[in-house]
Amino acid sequence: MPDQAFEKTADTAGGARTAPPAVRVQGLWKRFGEQIAVAGIDLELPAGKFIGLVGPNGAGKTTTLSMVTGLLRPDQGRVEVGGHDVWRDPVAVKSRIGVLPEGLRLFERLSGRELLGYSGRLRGLPGAEVDKRAAQLLDVLDLAGAQHKLVVDYSTGMRKKIGLAAALLHNPEVLFLDEPFEGVDPVSAQTIRGVLERYTASGATVVFSSHVMELVESLCDWVAVMAAGRIRAQGTLAEVRGDATSLQNAFLELVGANGRSAGDSLDWLGGGAR
Amino acid sequence: MTVSSQNASALAPVFVRLKLSLIKNGLRQSGGRQAAYITSAVLALLFAALQLLGLIALRGSEHAGTVTLLLVALMALGWTVMPLFFPSGDETLDPTRLVMLPLRPQPLVGALLAASLVGIGPLFTLCLILGSAIAVAHGAGAVVVAVLAVPLALLVCIALSRAVAAANTRLLTSRKGRDLAVLSGLVIAVGFQFVNFGAQRLGESGGLSALDPVADVVRWLPPASAIGAVGSAGEGSYGQAVLQLLISAVTLGLLLYAWQRSLVKLMTTPDGSTLAASEASRKESGGKGLTSLLPEGRTGTVMLRTLRYAWRDPKTKAAWITSLAIGLIVPALNALQGHGSVYFACFATGMLGMQMYNQFGQDTSAFWMVLLSISSTRDAYLELRARAFALLLVTLPYTLLVTAVTAGMLGDWTKLPEVIGLALALLGAMLATGSVASATLAYSIPQDSRKNVAPGQGGIAFLSILGGMVVSAILCAPMIALAIWLHVSGNHGSLWLLLPLGAAYGALIAWAGLKVAAPRTANRLPEILTAVSTG
Repeated sequence: MPDQAFEKTADTAGGARTAPPAVRVQGLWKRFGEQIAVAGIDLELPAGKFIGLVGPNGAGKTTTLSMVTGLLRPDQGRVEVGGHDVWRDPVAVKSRIGVLPEGLRLFERLSGRELLGYSGRLRGLPGAEVDKRAAQLLDVLDLAGAQHKLVVDYSTGMRKKIGLAAALLHNPEVLFLDEPFEGVDPVSAQTIRGVLERYTASGATVVFSSHVMELVESLCDWVAVMAAGRIRAQGTLAEVRGDATSLQNAFLELVGANGRSAGDSLDWLGGGAR
Repeated sequence: MTVSSQNASALAPVFVRLKLSLIKNGLRQSGGRQAAYITSAVLALLFAALQLLGLIALRGSEHAGTVTLLLVALMALGWTVMPLFFPSGDETLDPTRLVMLPLRPQPLVGALLAASLVGIGPLFTLCLILGSAIAVAHGAGAVVVAVLAVPLALLVCIALSRAVAAANTRLLTSRKGRDLAVLSGLVIAVGFQFVNFGAQRLGESGGLSALDPVADVVRWLPPASAIGAVGSAGEGSYGQAVLQLLISAVTLGLLLYAWQRSLVKLMTTPDGSTLAASEASRKESGGKGLTSLLPEGRTGTVMLRTLRYAWRDPKTKAAWITSLAIGLIVPALNALQGHGSVYFACFATGMLGMQMYNQFGQDTSAFWMVLLSISSTRDAYLELRARAFALLLVTLPYTLLVTAVTAGMLGDWTKLPEVIGLALALLGAMLATGSVASATLAYSIPQDSRKNVAPGQGGIAFLSILGGMVVSAILCAPMIALAIWLHVSGNHGSLWLLLPLGAAYGALIAWAGLKVAAPRTANRLPEILTAVSTG
């Protein structure tokens, strides 16, 4: 199936887009002891889209994103970003991706501005350019007032924003964000959204994970649904949603959680004191 | 509950019972905690009893006055600094938990003071003060003064601790306070070295009379002045005794007043821990000047980050200061005692060289930012080399300084070149083994506890540091052998050769070590990240 799809794009070389997929994953496996976190997934994420990776907690989203970005070595399988193998050609891949992981620290004893300066220079950008971009990012992300504060004193929302700034600084082609809106206040969430929408409008790809369906439905044009270490569905939002009224309902159907209502077992609950 | 009666005498029993319940319930939580508490209680009481007996035995000795005064003063010092290092030691100490209760400040202070008197610490202190008073109380007048002086001294100790804690609650519950707590172990470690040295000196100078001038000052300082009063009364100078008692009593009043003021402020203003953090707008840090001096690219960037962490990260800072302090104290103290050698200066180099071990563990899980920027062996080499350079920036001048200080104290300047040469060879070997160990034997450093190794990784840490030191010693063997041979064969004129040879040898080994470590780092990036992220 994937091969067919690929040939099709190759055939229409004269058409609008001939670019390879932003991310291609084949037969990816990861086991932690007894537990299988990711059970052989295949994914093909189109370039230039806002892509959502959705699934319940423990579905393997973070493990998958970690393996795709080179933070975790898979037991088996291949990952390509922009046509380059993540594990065989790290030079080409690492310069093309930006990452905001979940559950890992930043260099918190640097100020926000110092963190961006460090991150940009480490990636080989000239110092003056780093400082210019950092100033603009801090401004747009509403962090200018806190730029000289240590990151350790930042709130959750501010941390996500400075992490996003560090991930964007070298202008990557593909941005991977693990739960970028988790624990973020509505104002910061709106700021992050604005920046991400502008970024994808320029032709770049955003892949982000979330378990909030409404958010994914309102942001993404392409969705992959994960549960218990497997991909249950992938495609455009309309394809995945199908006949269901919302992505939430489609998702519950896919992971088989629908119809698990309380039934009669809680019939005493509510309806006046008894 | 008689809380609403607003009466200190009614409130005090409530708080004392609360304190007892808290201790009891704390013990009920786990068997291990119970065992630890009982063990420490038994040991403390045993020690207190022995101390009491010892002090009573001291009665009549000509130095009894000096010893008791200094003991009580030390105890008071302990009570003062304790809340800074163990902020969560006592739950009744946290007034913010009482905010919702209708309590007036004055009865509250009285009741809290009464509750503070319950516990092993106060009992231990009481034994010490009582023993001191018995040791110096000669005559009926002195006994009368002692009856007043003993509770007074105890109350001053407790009030001191409470006043300091209340005044610093804001600090202690903030991030800065937690940073301070991490550094506390270090203060104790370094302080212990000095106490140890002081005790040795006292033993050597053959008497406590050396301390008499200090005691002459301390006898006027509260709460030791209360014990001083007992001594003064025993000598018949009642005027002096009353004055000394008065000093302690007035101090107690002032401390209680200060404590009450802090309490009122704490309980009537909103919790400032978040406010304080957000108002602290740091100005552009002093790194600017340093930035322009450091090279461009990864080397300068990593060096700057490493040096900033050495200063700002409490764990890293504690490790650095320990190395710097112990590295100087050991050779200097040995030189002072007259049985040292200039070669002891290599100790400083060895201590600082240990900072190269577990480099990526020091990054914590923030190592992912480094991981994403390393895509070749060359990148890994530059990363490790920059960290080694940052270390050298401090270690090189420090090695020269410690060697020069030690040589100066021993008056043995001729050994300077050979010792520096050997120290440089050792430094090179430590950098080499340290970078290889960082790549192959990374482990997590938990950030929120005093531990330096995450549970389950103790073996790796042990292997990394001990193995590294053994290999470093082996790597240095040629230089050590050369030094011994030059000494034994009587070629003292050529010993200076060790300086250039040691420097060149050290640089060569360090370079080779980095070359060995770089591909291992580049190939094991995800494994290193997993290893350093468990804490």
